[in-house]
Amino acid sequence: MKYKSQKIAYWFFATCMLLLSLQIVYGFIMGFARMGFDGLHDWIPFNAARATHTNLLVVWLLTGFMGAAHYIIPDESESEIYSVRLAYIQLLSLIVVGVVSIIGFHFNVWEGRKFLEIPRPLDYLVVINVLLFLFNIGMTVWKGKKHTTTGLVLYFGLFSAALLYLPGMIEFNSQTVDSYFRWWVVHLWVEGVWELIMGGILSFLLIKLTGVDREVIEKWLYVIVGLTFLSGILGTGHHYYYIGVPEYWKWIGGFFSMLEPLAFLAMAMFAVSMYRKSGRNHPNTISLYWTIGSAIMSFVGAGFLGFAHTLPQVNLYTHGTLITAMHGHLAFWGAYAMIVLAIITYSMPLLTGRKLWNNSIGLFAFWASNIGMLGMTGAFAVAGIAQVYLERKFGLDFLVVQKEIQVHFLGLVLAALVFTSGIVAFIWNFIKFGTPTDEAVGAEAASGDISLSSRS
Amino acid sequence: MLTKFQAKLFFLIGTFLFSAIFLFLTFDSLRYVYSNPSAKTLSDEVIRGKALWEKNNCMGCHTILGEGAYYAPELTKVYERRGPEWIRIFLKDPQAMYPGERKMVKYDFTEAQIGDLIAFLKWNGELDLKGFPPKPEFKPETQTVSANNVSISQPEKFKQICVACHAVGGAGGNVGPALDTVGKKFDIAYLENWLRDPQKIKPGTAMPKLPLSESEIKDLSAYLSQLK
Repeated sequence: MKYKSQKIAYWFFATCMLLLSLQIVYGFIMGFARMGFDGLHDWIPFNAARATHTNLLVVWLLTGFMGAAHYIIPDESESEIYSVRLAYIQLLSLIVVGVVSIIGFHFNVWEGRKFLEIPRPLDYLVVINVLLFLFNIGMTVWKGKKHTTTGLVLYFGLFSAALLYLPGMIEFNSQTVDSYFRWWVVHLWVEGVWELIMGGILSFLLIKLTGVDREVIEKWLYVIVGLTFLSGILGTGHHYYYIGVPEYWKWIGGFFSMLEPLAFLAMAMFAVSMYRKSGRNHPNTISLYWTIGSAIMSFVGAGFLGFAHTLPQVNLYTHGTLITAMHGHLAFWGAYAMIVLAIITYSMPLLTGRKLWNNSIGLFAFWASNIGMLGMTGAFAVAGIAQVYLERKFGLDFLVVQKEIQVHFLGLVLAALVFTSGIVAFIWNFIKFGTPTDEAVGAEAASGDISLSSRS
Repeated sequence: MLTKFQAKLFFLIGTFLFSAIFLFLTFDSLRYVYSNPSAKTLSDEVIRGKALWEKNNCMGCHTILGEGAYYAPELTKVYERRGPEWIRIFLKDPQAMYPGERKMVKYDFTEAQIGDLIAFLKWNGELDLKGFPPKPEFKPETQTVSANNVSISQPEKFKQICVACHAVGGAGGNVGPALDTVGKKFDIAYLENWLRDPQKIKPGTAMPKLPLSESEIKDLSAYLSQLK
């Protein structure tokens, strides 16, 4: 660790772990409700569990991105964070907003628009919070000695994510227009600017872990984020097929959705080829697993499974079914959860000075959570395909179909248990690292940022 | 291969060009939406209904226009499928309509609020959604009601409420048993008692006590007793 203010990242990451655990708990509540065990209905009805589950996902990923920025930006711009105090205030206020929203969900206080459930007054606090964050990081970049592409892409991604939160706060009377602009936030986040953030973190990690020349990596970063926007912006159209807007969205949305996997494919090929070019054997192999894994899984989940149901002819039947849940789970996991876990795995030894890499717990965390998530995706896929045929093709009643596919949720819950065991192992390792210390500063020689002759 | 500068140019030009196209298409889509007939039927009732829909996070279980969660039915065409009467009774006590089934929160809506919600659902159901939701392609056509019963006309209430769960002549729901031969099993007096309070005759039955007037009970029982 070169810069003392990088320690802030640890507290963001710790918050991440807490929110992720809570998200999993709510996932189980829903899984059991779908199996017919909804004993908590009177206290936590499904819509409350669902809003909590998805909002926790968004909040912990954003917290992770912020943590990543606090770690990466000082390194990239070669200067301390502009104001450490501001960073802690910002983290605290983020937690307060999150906790208040989640408690509110349980008392029927929300603005029920999928993924944007946080009630309007709290939205303004989110805006202030994010402005604080952007100011602090922006000043760090501004005053920094160096302006690298990686740092700029990451900052531009975070900035655009904040900007795109605003269309979600305008009120519309028509459900069609409401839906139209809701996707400006949700789609342009996950298939646009978040990919910039992901690309920035990925490129930082690849520079550090593979030792490939920065110029080479950053050139490909431009190509990848270029592809992302080229396909992703008009790809928003795949949400516009059936909400009451012009017919041409079927053509435009369909065509650009077909291109969307290209960005992810490029990302996966890029990560793998950089790894193969690797001039150094970085000792933190687990972090390399998460990094390469993220690039590959995001192609499978976001790229391939996304492609599998965004063609208009297919989407006509799969729109609004469990197929979306299938795609959503692997996409978020591969693209965003894994890259956050990768930067955590990479930075923890450097923040705390404890070289807990490549231990069996860390390895178990990687494999169990990935296998569990693939299992969950499979369970959703089978349930979703059965739902599409029974409900949409054969016209059986919704509730009748739900009874038929209940059994697949047993599979889901079992896979979720494997997944959870992996996450528990990850958090266990995280706790064992302990808190960051100033002694780790200057201990660069032991940090792993060096060439070793063999992997230990 | 590309130089770093060319790669940067590719990113910048791609982003600005496609953002510009997207903004233009957004402008055109809004023009389309606001010049559509649906814009004129967007009444205060519908807008209040939408506010209620959001305030209670209905999307946390249901989908509308295919958007939302997948725990409860798609509601775009619910007005066409169930009709306002059924939705009205259902919203007063959702669990009474489907006892022992997947649960919905009882929201204690007022009559006016239910009216607003129905208006909202009706408005969405009438949008031009380019073929969504699709009509089932392989729905089996069954005809089980016997030919000598075709002259019996169904009471209005039956069409509004009962068909949501029961089928006659292959048309209707399948939550409750088909009623094609119900007249063979029960006489008018039994049917009347049954409709007044199903739970009293068969405790634990899935059939809810429906808000029916005495004359509606008489009409329905007369109709049902003839289904033989």
